[in-house]
Amino acid sequence: MTTGPVIEVRGLVKRFGALAAVDGVDLLVREGEVHGFLGPNGAGKSTTIRVLLGLYRANAGLVRVLGLDPASHAAEVTRQISYVPGEVFLWPTLTGQEVLDALAGLRGARDVAAEQRLTEAFALDTRKRIRTYSKGNRQKVVLVASFAAPTRLLILDEPTSGLDPLMEEVFQQCVREAAAAGRTVLLSSHLLEEVEDVCSAVTIIKDGRLVESGRLADMRHLAASTITAHLPDEARAAIDVRLRSWGLAGNAPAERRLVLNVPRDRVAAVLGVLAEAGAADITCTPARLEDLFLRHYQVAAR
Amino acid sequence: MTLLLLMARRHRLPILCWVALLIALSGPTLPAYRSTYATVADRRIAVALAQHDAATTLMYGRLPDPGTPALMFAWEIGAIVTVLAAVAAVLLATMLTRAAEDNGTLELVRACGVPPHFPVRDALVLLAAVASVLTAGCTAAAVVSGAHVEGADLTGALSFGAVIGITFLLFGVLTVGLAQVAATAGQTRLLGFLAVGAAFAVRAMADTRDLAWLNGFTPLGLRATTQPFGADRWIPPVVALTVTAALAVAAAATAAHREYGAGILPRRDTSTRRLPVRTVAALSARLTRTSLIAWTAAVTAISGLFCAMGAGAVTQPDLGGFLGAQVGAGDRVAGYLSYCGTVTGIIVSVFGILAMLTAGHDERTGLTALVLTTGRRRWAPLGAQAAVTAAGGAIVLLAAAALSAVIAPVVIDGPDVTVRTLGYLLGQWPAVVALIGITTLLLGLRPSWAGLAWLPLTAGALFALLGDLFDIPGAVQRLGVFRHVPDVAAADGVPLGLIALLAVGAATCLLGLLAARRRDLVAG
Repeated sequence: MTTGPVIEVRGLVKRFGALAAVDGVDLLVREGEVHGFLGPNGAGKSTTIRVLLGLYRANAGLVRVLGLDPASHAAEVTRQISYVPGEVFLWPTLTGQEVLDALAGLRGARDVAAEQRLTEAFALDTRKRIRTYSKGNRQKVVLVASFAAPTRLLILDEPTSGLDPLMEEVFQQCVREAAAAGRTVLLSSHLLEEVEDVCSAVTIIKDGRLVESGRLADMRHLAASTITAHLPDEARAAIDVRLRSWGLAGNAPAERRLVLNVPRDRVAAVLGVLAEAGAADITCTPARLEDLFLRHYQVAAR
Repeated sequence: MTLLLLMARRHRLPILCWVALLIALSGPTLPAYRSTYATVADRRIAVALAQHDAATTLMYGRLPDPGTPALMFAWEIGAIVTVLAAVAAVLLATMLTRAAEDNGTLELVRACGVPPHFPVRDALVLLAAVASVLTAGCTAAAVVSGAHVEGADLTGALSFGAVIGITFLLFGVLTVGLAQVAATAGQTRLLGFLAVGAAFAVRAMADTRDLAWLNGFTPLGLRATTQPFGADRWIPPVVALTVTAALAVAAAATAAHREYGAGILPRRDTSTRRLPVRTVAALSARLTRTSLIAWTAAVTAISGLFCAMGAGAVTQPDLGGFLGAQVGAGDRVAGYLSYCGTVTGIIVSVFGILAMLTAGHDERTGLTALVLTTGRRRWAPLGAQAAVTAAGGAIVLLAAAALSAVIAPVVIDGPDVTVRTLGYLLGQWPAVVALIGITTLLLGLRPSWAGLAWLPLTAGALFALLGDLFDIPGAVQRLGVFRHVPDVAAADGVPLGLIALLAVGAATCLLGLLAARRRDLVAG
């Protein structure tokens, strides 16, 4: 057992020719933590994960997973890791059950009861050949194998992209159970809403660089929502004054349709003010992570 | 970009390789037939013997009178090139049709507003274009190289080129039709190869049983019915083209009556079998099993057929041309069995390289990453594939050698035929191992380089089969991997060539695994 963090990455640099796919990223994941690893497509999440798994070698920086350097101890590290890749490709001529058998057999450790329970939870017909599976079903096979494997660390790279909402619920439940069992989870995603329900900490990267990292509770200011409403002409000026008093500013006052971004802790108050003023067609939409990146972290594109 | 251009762009490499190979075989070999026999009288004796020899008749068909060098070329090389054209057509037609459906790329194309009948139509058009290039290329090659060869004229070159092109097109269109029936791309290829085998069997029966009319009912009999550089009949090619057109219409009609991704034949998609593997090698063995069984059956049958045809080659006093170059001037039994071993070794090496290339495919698609993240060493998947492929090659050679060792003593008179047959066939294993090692090295260095593994195989096959015909120096020929098996009945001393091949195989394999450890995995 390691006494330090389960994953410790400092100043990681990974280049492919002239392109630095990861450029100075830090990542710290503690034992038993569910850690969200966020970033838009192409941010460098999968590259970082492949370095953690020993599939890629870092050009610079310190990388420790379960206390070991994955570049030199890849097998020792991955024996204790369950990995779900973003794009799941499996042996098309094997059945789902044969793939589960193969992955468990190669690992040399298996929890048959957990595997059966998860197979039922994910409603997976393991008698079918992989070539007949949809993307979601292929993803389920690897999810079942990963959650059922008796490992200390789960590294999940955008694992729900092919799942329907019902199965996403099952997935989130599995993550919670894994955390409750003391396992550590690194959950990569480009959707903040996907990770915020299960993660206690997040690291955000963009263009291969670290944007922000910390406990989710300390980063709630990122989770702004977009509120729109049609305002009565006579109420617009008064509402603008109230909004400015909270540090908020909507679009041009001449427009009847108000559009503004509101931090999560102010949403209820703003909605109350709008309702009180007789606003119509009020909508409140949680901001997309991409919007947050654009708004808060204008990291120069390379 | 049209779908037709997209198909041509996507598959340009295998198309160009096959076209280049077939044209290269068609041209430069023609002048060799002029210099094979010292005098016209010598050639006439050889022609008379060849016309009455069961083995060469089975393999190449009947040699027409008067047996000019150009006729001998069309008879011998024509037989080989038409079979290769048929194999190329099956592989390319499957690639253009069902393989694109099975891997999902065609789904994307269809979703871009391409009408449902376009993929089959454009596959047929592309096959016709390739057939046209083949026809023109083979004709030009025969014209250029046959300038001073007796019997070689423009009409003969044209009919020779047309036979190659139409044979390719007929098998290509037939395979497109089979692709509408088969459940998967693999099944399409299997049915296509069965069709090639059946066509060869009908052609062999027509020629050996004096049933010449049967050649009119097999695509591989088109060469015999057209008779390039001889009668130069044009009715058979026209009939073959008409049949091809009818097959194309039938294929298009069948395509309209099936679901995307499914053939007319049902497929078995469920199973309750388990896979109790504990090692990467066991998993590789399970994944290679089906193709290994198919290759074992095919290679054993081909090897047995070659041995069964040996009697004439061994007893014929003046054997010239391609087969004469193979058997050589020394001990006929040893020469012929060595030739059988070489052909078998080449085919098993093709299996070896294809099986190894799956390691590169697995790495690109993320399967290797999935295996490695179960706690396996970086070199394990590549090493396991090399070990399983080497063992698979040994199994194929053992099966082929066992059957050939039973057949050869029955049809070939000579000392130690059984032992020599076993020796010549099993002796090809070091060559297979060397090529597996080279492929492993290329995969270890960079998976995108793995295709270069075909170069030593092609060079080895060229040196072994056509080296004498092309007057390639002996020292260069010995650099090939297939001509190092000694005659076990006469061997004295250590087989250094085979030991060197095994050493090359082991060293390159080891270097490949070390190289794989030192580089990043190729991302999918």
